[in-house]
Amino acid sequence: MSELNSVFEIKNISKFYTGAAGSKLHVLDEVSFKIEIIGQVGSIISVLAPFGSGTSTLLKIIAAIEEPTDGSVFINGALYSHASGKIAYIPELPSSFPWLNVKQNIEFVASLKSRGNIDVNKLISIVGLTGYEDHFPHEKSIGFRFRISLARALAVNPSLILLDDPFRGLHGETKKEIYSLLQNVKEKLKTNYLLTTTNITEAISLSDKILLMKNHPGKIFKEIIVNQNLISSGDREVFTSLRTEIESAYSAFEGTPLVSEVKYK
Amino acid sequence: MKINKGTSKKTFLFLLSYFILWIILFEFILPVNQILPKPSIVFLSFSALWQFYKLPVNFITTISVVYFSLFAAYFIIYMFRNFLLKHNHIFTDFILSLNWFSKYVPGIIFGLFLIFWLPDSNYIGFIFAFSTSFFSMLIKLKEETINIKHEYVDAAKSLGADESVVRRKILWDASQPGLIKHLFELHFYIWSVLIVFEFINGGYGLGNIFRLALQYRDLSALFTNAIIIGVTIFLGSHVIRYIRNKFFHWSIF
Repeated sequence: MSELNSVFEIKNISKFYTGAAGSKLHVLDEVSFKIEIIGQVGSIISVLAPFGSGTSTLLKIIAAIEEPTDGSVFINGALYSHASGKIAYIPELPSSFPWLNVKQNIEFVASLKSRGNIDVNKLISIVGLTGYEDHFPHEKSIGFRFRISLARALAVNPSLILLDDPFRGLHGETKKEIYSLLQNVKEKLKTNYLLTTTNITEAISLSDKILLMKNHPGKIFKEIIVNQNLISSGDREVFTSLRTEIESAYSAFEGTPLVSEVKYK
Repeated sequence: MKINKGTSKKTFLFLLSYFILWIILFEFILPVNQILPKPSIVFLSFSALWQFYKLPVNFITTISVVYFSLFAAYFIIYMFRNFLLKHNHIFTDFILSLNWFSKYVPGIIFGLFLIFWLPDSNYIGFIFAFSTSFFSMLIKLKEETINIKHEYVDAAKSLGADESVVRRKILWDASQPGLIKHLFELHFYIWSVLIVFEFINGGYGLGNIFRLALQYRDLSALFTNAIIIGVTIFLGSHVIRYIRNKFFHWSIF
């Protein structure tokens, strides 16, 4: 039986922004869910939501980059702060630093006071950038930059990596490249991801669990467990029934996530 | 700011044709005129510039003031980058007001006030060039940091970077391409205003050579001094370009 390592509890997160004219924008409404990290198994959990549902804000709050108006994030019952390094966050645009080469980008993590020794070469090899150590990200593709961001996130040795809509605006081949990179790293390092997406097909193809979120304000209203063994085996029936279930769940709300025909497997 | 080889070759050919045209026109066809000097006289006027117009001391004065003030302004901003970026919000109004002034009040007017306030100072040229460079870079740094993508800051914070690291290693580094690009423009601007400043102030400097040459109606000294300044600015720009390509070659995406 697998050992339970960490429990991330996102509890009643609400967020309001105040506009210039003093008007209040309600972005998140008491968002609550739990992620259980189990020792020897990696996982991908998706937050599926229509555009403009506040998913970026939610991830930033979980990563302790942004303060919620109300609610908290707990790890094993203790309030989370980003100094603990349990959560790494990769923003929507691959955020590798263009002024540092591949190696320096990863060494940046080692230069931070709270971080110990990091096996930079191992991380470079895991994300498939061996031989590109002295290359700069601005000369390379989005996929290349994403690899750097992922290696840097792995350098923190996090229990959970947050990915803010990693596939938005990407073309088919780059999507597949990033998708297989995430899967490979998950299998090798037993990594756990929490990613956001606006695409039903992506969510079903990638995730072990899908959290359905509505917009205006953003709120999680349903959880769906996905049997990835059946999806991987190309079972169209399972895929279609999940898609129908998700679409009908959103029928009560205004916004609906997208459906794309990109095949990941 | 890349210039392709085809364009630079064309520019060189144009310059060469102007040069040949000048020699043919003013050496042989119009040797006596008040438009441009005779090429052979320009060649000979170097010695007059050297002795009579004290070219070495004036040249060294101007280039020291230009490059030392640019270097000092950048170095001081670099040394205090953490402080300046930390208290950005306090400086904002001050910097914005400076920006407003710089848009509507030409920098040379500040120079005129300096001449009035410090008529006997030997460092007045440096004070003028340094203040202009420093505040110009400060305004640019402010503009650049406003436009930096928050994704860099978010990613760094999530990796455990504190505010000081974010300021020193993210905000500063991300603002460098814009700041160095600004240095190109500032380099030319400082040369221009300093020449005018020296012209008005007298004392030492290449601007003062212009003043004397105009006083003596010496067209060849005027022309030779202009060539010396042009060549120096050209070389200075190449040194800045070399520094950029060597140390700040990346671009923000």
